Amino acid sequence: MAPLSRHRAILLAYGAMIALLLVTSIFSPGFLSPGHLRSIVVLAAFIGIVALGQTFVIIGGGIDLSVPWVLNSAAVLMTLFAAGQDAPLLWIVPLLLAAGALVGAVNGIGIAVFGVPPIIMTLAVNVILQGGILVYTGGSPAAAAPPLIQYLAVGRIGVVPVIGVVWLVLALLASLVLSRTAFGRQLYAVGTSATVATFSGLPTLRTAIAGYTLSGFTAALAGMLLTGYSGQAYLGMGDPYLFTSIAAVAIGGASILGGSGHYIGTIAGAFVLTILTGLLPALNLSNGALLIVYGAVILVTVSVSSDAFADLFAFVRRRRAAG
Amino acid sequence: MAFLEATSVAKRYGGIVALGGVDFAAERGEVHALLGENGAGKSTFIQVLAGSVRPDAGSIRLGGAEYRPADPRAARAAGVAAVFQELSLVPDLTVAQNVWFRREPLSRLATARRSALIERTEALFARYRFPDIAPDREVRRLSLADRQVVEIAKALAGDPSVLILDEATSALAPRETEWLLDLARSFARSGRLVVFISHRLGEVRALVDRVTVFRNGETVGAYPIGAVSDETMIADMLGRRLDRLYPERHATATARLALKVRGLSAGAALKNVDLDLREGEVLGVAGLQGHGQQALFQALFGALRATGEVEVWGKPVSIRNPRRALSPALGLALVPEDRRGQGLLLSKSVRENLTLSVIPRFSRFGLLSARREKALVDEMIAFLQIKAKTPEQPAGTLSGGNQQKVIFGKMLLTEAKILLLFDPTRGVDVGTKGEIFRLMRDLAAKGYAILFYSSDLSEPVHVADRVAVMRNGAVAAVLAGEAVTEEGILRAAMVERAAA
Amino acid sequence: MTLAARSEPVAADVRPRAARDWTALVVDRAPFLVACAMLLILLGIYSTLQRDVFTLEELNLDTTASLTLLLAATGQTIVLVRGGIDLSIGGMISLGTVIAGTQFGEDPANAALWAVIILAIGVGAGVANGLLISVLRLQPFLVTLATWSILGGTALVILPSDGGSIPSGWTWFGNTGFGGLSTSVWILAALVLFWLWFRATRLGIAIRATGSNERSAYLSGVSLTAVNCATYGLSGLFSALAALYLVTQTGTGSPTVGNGYILNTVAAAVIGGVSLFGGRGGLASTIVGAFILTIIGNLVFVLSISSYWQPIASGVILLAAVLASSLAEKSARRGGM
Repeated sequence: MAPLSRHRAILLAYGAMIALLLVTSIFSPGFLSPGHLRSIVVLAAFIGIVALGQTFVIIGGGIDLSVPWVLNSAAVLMTLFAAGQDAPLLWIVPLLLAAGALVGAVNGIGIAVFGVPPIIMTLAVNVILQGGILVYTGGSPAAAAPPLIQYLAVGRIGVVPVIGVVWLVLALLASLVLSRTAFGRQLYAVGTSATVATFSGLPTLRTAIAGYTLSGFTAALAGMLLTGYSGQAYLGMGDPYLFTSIAAVAIGGASILGGSGHYIGTIAGAFVLTILTGLLPALNLSNGALLIVYGAVILVTVSVSSDAFADLFAFVRRRRAAG
Repeated sequence: MAFLEATSVAKRYGGIVALGGVDFAAERGEVHALLGENGAGKSTFIQVLAGSVRPDAGSIRLGGAEYRPADPRAARAAGVAAVFQELSLVPDLTVAQNVWFRREPLSRLATARRSALIERTEALFARYRFPDIAPDREVRRLSLADRQVVEIAKALAGDPSVLILDEATSALAPRETEWLLDLARSFARSGRLVVFISHRLGEVRALVDRVTVFRNGETVGAYPIGAVSDETMIADMLGRRLDRLYPERHATATARLALKVRGLSAGAALKNVDLDLREGEVLGVAGLQGHGQQALFQALFGALRATGEVEVWGKPVSIRNPRRALSPALGLALVPEDRRGQGLLLSKSVRENLTLSVIPRFSRFGLLSARREKALVDEMIAFLQIKAKTPEQPAGTLSGGNQQKVIFGKMLLTEAKILLLFDPTRGVDVGTKGEIFRLMRDLAAKGYAILFYSSDLSEPVHVADRVAVMRNGAVAAVLAGEAVTEEGILRAAMVERAAA
Repeated sequence: MTLAARSEPVAADVRPRAARDWTALVVDRAPFLVACAMLLILLGIYSTLQRDVFTLEELNLDTTASLTLLLAATGQTIVLVRGGIDLSIGGMISLGTVIAGTQFGEDPANAALWAVIILAIGVGAGVANGLLISVLRLQPFLVTLATWSILGGTALVILPSDGGSIPSGWTWFGNTGFGGLSTSVWILAALVLFWLWFRATRLGIAIRATGSNERSAYLSGVSLTAVNCATYGLSGLFSALAALYLVTQTGTGSPTVGNGYILNTVAAAVIGGVSLFGGRGGLASTIVGAFILTIIGNLVFVLSISSYWQPIASGVILLAAVLASSLAEKSARRGGM
């Protein structure tokens, strides 16, 4: 059992988010200005959307390392197909979302049905997609994002960024699915113990595959939206999302071993990472420093929720009680 | 003072007393049998001797000195080697590498050369006249019997002064069994000690010099083998028990067949099993541990691939997986052997565990109804008197008995009418045991059909209408009426195999 | 007093000595044999497209092309045999090339000192992986994912984009040869000798045993913490060696070059027949796997197909190999025991 109950872990994540906001606003005045807060929401939304699928996969006891190039592929193909026009999006967006979901389903089938370890399966799919896009584009994909996508990514409704609204809707749906549906209940059960789930008559394989399918879907969605933010698709745009999507889930209080956590926590995780990211350039640090921070954050959060730590807490408590 | 002498050794696991203070004394030069039913405390005691379990109280002296091994390594260093039923071999290493694992002879380059290992292994095999096993073969390619033999070689490699054999003959063919008995005898004659655990009384009588009998974690008798009859040993093992634990039994079986099994087979574990289970009947399944009972239950639940014909309520069915078994069309539910690994999500609440198999019963279009779930949960908690602070308490924090009740509740909510209960009372307190037996009889009276295995022989005798005794993956006998006694079951389960 | 004192002939009931079980041996090594056959077929195709394939010169060229991967994959093989996985290889190789590119300078003594420092960093990072895995009881992929990020990030901090320079003496060493064989072939030979020695040491046996069955190994007296530290420490050491060799080929430091090696090291090992589930396989498998990947690269080049096809090919072959082995595992389990 994790040392922290589910609710406490999520509260802790939000506590960290608020503390970080306050600290940052001291370091750089103007951090809490509406414009800046809005840009935090926009950047957090991209992490949050990718991490949505990752949350489901991790709750189900797996991991998805194919996120970067599912995202990147969708971004590149969308800009190429649309060629800057809005009209073709009508078929492009559904097609690419379905393609992302299909890639996820292939991951899930390889893992759940054929027993390929999740890391190998998703890492291989990631490399294959990377190669495929490089072959297809010849290494230089340059096409601008259509206006509609740009509006979705950076537009505003009043003071609210459009993508914030998109994210909010997705977040509500994800939370509903996790907390209030049969599928959510099964996912937690499969992630806690696939054996117990099977012995309880749950559709274990189908549930695990569905998690990966969703992850492919959200990665593709995030990829298309991200082109609107950067104005175009470029190679390597998905790479940071491998670490951030996993880190956001871990910060949000999910056990990396599966069976616990909630998307509500992941949202706080996405904000924590975004604020950190925003903070570092302010301190004149580079992309490299960011990677170091992501790695350290993953290590620290999973260490704190590890069994060994729980034992240590229990030991210290006993000592104190005895002494 | 005896060579190996244990005094008042005790060990508890939570609320369960495994050893209540046993005494044991054995001399150099003898083969000493340790007898007792499953759960009498034998295996805990030898784990203490082998250093893998540390006792809570009591003392052990070996060769006159205090003996308190901290771990298996320390026990081996003190000259105590145990051959357990759970093998400690590494499948991907060769026989020779396994035998000398962690005591490899090293060359000048600090390597354990293949030829040196093989030479040493062959010398060891020759010294103890081992059956022929190629030292260069990887262990995963050996039969179970050969692995058992290699495990014995590994124990002997350290030249121990005490050799513990825990059911070491159970996997062996008659010829290898004879070899092992010879080995034990000559090992003891060379001035060392063999502690021998076996369920086969014939073997015990032929081999050992003295016996000690355990029951319920206590020593109940110690005799020279020549001065004790089989009847006395069996009586010591079984003892007299409180019969109040058991409910009154009324015959409630009808003529209607709930489950008809013909020729059920699964590899070496299950051979051609035929069974009839009637509506309203509790059919006991008994036998020594590991004779196919587990495979039978798993096969009927679709958790183990098996061949053969199964009819449920008169209809031929194929039970592909547990999901199919639990489906309303079949209505087969299992209380699995491994409560924590197969039955419960320990970190999840009592509520979630209870309703895990019946999610469709409180959901519509995939959406859960908390209200309807609560109704199901409250009803079951009240019905089974599950003692949880709230339904939200994690199942892993309940007592063993209450955990088992949650599994029963989960099974009953599925409305399955054929219940497969695998050792449902193991590690459960006496009070809950009584409740479980009463529940079983009540359910039978309501028309449920129950298949019931227990590692405690007395339970099927008092609870079941008939008892199928399994031996070597097959049904050796089906006892009914007056024939259902512990002695009868033991006899059917322990009859020596015919010489090959 | 021992039983050996008996003088009668040994073993009264000797069964006829089991003939060496050839079918089982072949089945056991099926993945390796399939990989060998695949390598031969690829070489055959290659020789129809290119003259003079079976020459010393071609051996020198292909070994030089494979050696960075081979060195890193040796570490990955040890980790896989232990039943783990090391993703931090990617970060360590990048970091190694970057330190070399920025610190070596022209003074040979200075370069040698920094080479030792790079090796020490490799071992240190690996031991840290091993400690985190055993002491905090975390999953290997998670720990090495995080250290990959940290090491790779450090590389980017030191050198944000490709650059730095490698002294000519260092690159000369990597590209010269002795007795008609290139440096790479000699290093490969040393690697093979190392492996033949290592697998027979107590540590080598303990690592394989722990990957094969952790509980049995523990019950037999193996310290899991020591085994994990040694396993990942060696993997870090080989990644650092790979980086030191890589810079002789590229002549520059590159902060992201290592990422491409993560999957390829696993691919080389697994294609050649190393089990992802621990306990089985060795360097022979990895060498064959690495050469398969290199020859595919050659073919892509000779056929003047876009070089971007190469990762696709290795990814697909890796998945095929893993699928085949996990299906074989499943059917073996179904077959009894």
